[in-house]
Amino acid sequence: MIQLEHIEVAYGRGRPVLAVESLRIAPGERVAIIGPSGAGKSTLLRCLKGFVQPRTGKVEVLGVNLACACQRARRAANQRVAIIYQQFRLVPRLSVLQNTLCGRLGHTHRWRSLLGWFSAEDLRTAWAAIVEVGLAEKVHQRADTLSGGEQQRVAVARAVAQEPELILADEPVSSLDPSWAADVLELLATVQSHHHATLVMTLHQPELARRFAGRVIGLRAGRVAWDGPAGDLSDDVLNTLYGNDRRDIVPFADSATA
Amino acid sequence: METTAATSSLSLTAPPPDPGRARRRAGWLLLAVLTLAALVWSAIGTEVSFTSLYRAWPNMGEFLHRMWPPDLMWETTEARPFSPPLRLAAAAVAITLQISLLGTALGAAGALLLGLLAAENLTPDWVHHPLKVFLALVRSIPIILLALLFVAAIGLGPLPGVLAVAVHSLGMLGKLYAEEFETADPGVWEALGGTGANWLQKVRYALWPQAARQVFSHTLFRFEMNLRESAVLGLVGVAGLGLWIENYRRAFDYPSVATMVVVTMLLVLAVDQVVFHARRRLK
Repeated sequence: MIQLEHIEVAYGRGRPVLAVESLRIAPGERVAIIGPSGAGKSTLLRCLKGFVQPRTGKVEVLGVNLACACQRARRAANQRVAIIYQQFRLVPRLSVLQNTLCGRLGHTHRWRSLLGWFSAEDLRTAWAAIVEVGLAEKVHQRADTLSGGEQQRVAVARAVAQEPELILADEPVSSLDPSWAADVLELLATVQSHHHATLVMTLHQPELARRFAGRVIGLRAGRVAWDGPAGDLSDDVLNTLYGNDRRDIVPFADSATA
Repeated sequence: METTAATSSLSLTAPPPDPGRARRRAGWLLLAVLTLAALVWSAIGTEVSFTSLYRAWPNMGEFLHRMWPPDLMWETTEARPFSPPLRLAAAAVAITLQISLLGTALGAAGALLLGLLAAENLTPDWVHHPLKVFLALVRSIPIILLALLFVAAIGLGPLPGVLAVAVHSLGMLGKLYAEEFETADPGVWEALGGTGANWLQKVRYALWPQAARQVFSHTLFRFEMNLRESAVLGLVGVAGLGLWIENYRRAFDYPSVATMVVVTMLLVLAVDQVVFHARRRLK
């Protein structure tokens, strides 16, 4: 499913911000990437989406080598990898339905979609996704009038409508209230198992990783410092991961403003 | 320990003096002196003085007197068998409106295409840089000059007016549209790219919903400006209200000039109001 070999990522000519020797993620895994700020969590995720090209090494996602595959193969892989952002990144002014239909843009007829025509299948898939995230009653409401938690649900619906094999979530709950955070992560877990997808998410709070992930990868200073089942994530491990950076381990209940 | 020393020397009753104050004051003073110098220079160059203004006053009064009352006849009489100015004005209003509507629409259509290509977040440097320069060049030609050139090239009538308005709007709107597209949230653009959307789909779904209202608002405002300007284009031979003002002025028929001026003002005021309310609803 995902295979990283000897990758090094750097922005500009600086020091690498991410250096991973070898990392494999199998289909159906639910992985949380944790670590202090600046450890390279988001970079790793953006690498898997192809938004960031590593300086050296190989990134293989869904059997496609993102570095050397031809553009068409990359585009096909791109379509099967959905990404969810901390800031939702919905299209303001468009409705829940229209935002969800945006997830179909890679599947649907390109020219007809420009006129706003989507096929019956697109509409069926989008509607199923909206029902799945529990927003059926707000289907025609404008996305920017929803609460943060609801907006992230729309983002999940858009990802589901994409029919992805891999779902990436970059700090999906960092801008949400704690109660919404658990809600959204629960939804992500349900969606993942329902669609037999793989889920890779970065999380700020180790406690959430323990609760919602099967496997946890701990990054520190751009390197994999820990990798194991979520159940084995002990406080000792967290101490080595975060070191003196204790302020990064925000107690879950106080994280409303994080 | 420098910080504690600094803190302890702070007064408790008044804030510390603002170190940049003297420099800001000097700056304002310099600006005031420069502005005044520029105004004096302009007054000397244009020979404007209170005495010249005072002496011009009676002439102005006499001119206004000759224009009064405006010729508001609708029917032709035996003394004046040709069409009265009010009738001509009605037809001219239609032509002026048509010129600005069509010109704005043509210009906006071109500006939409060029604006997309001139937005620095949408196209590579070698596309948007030259386009921005091109739009600036187009904008730098005053509309009356454009009309003069088109009249010389294709003759009198409404067509040169339409073309002048269209070209001028292209330059103006192209820049405004491009700027509007550049302010759109890049996160949404990236997110839709992540769903597999192509460039056009991203333009349609990530950019357009964010920019549409402002695009319409700019276009409406441009239409209003075009209407004002196309009324003046008559001076160089473009059909419409301005042409009749110029014709009557040359014939020293000042009451008819007054009619045309009043009709022009009413038209502009009406469109001004309509556009004002339409743009407010777009907010």
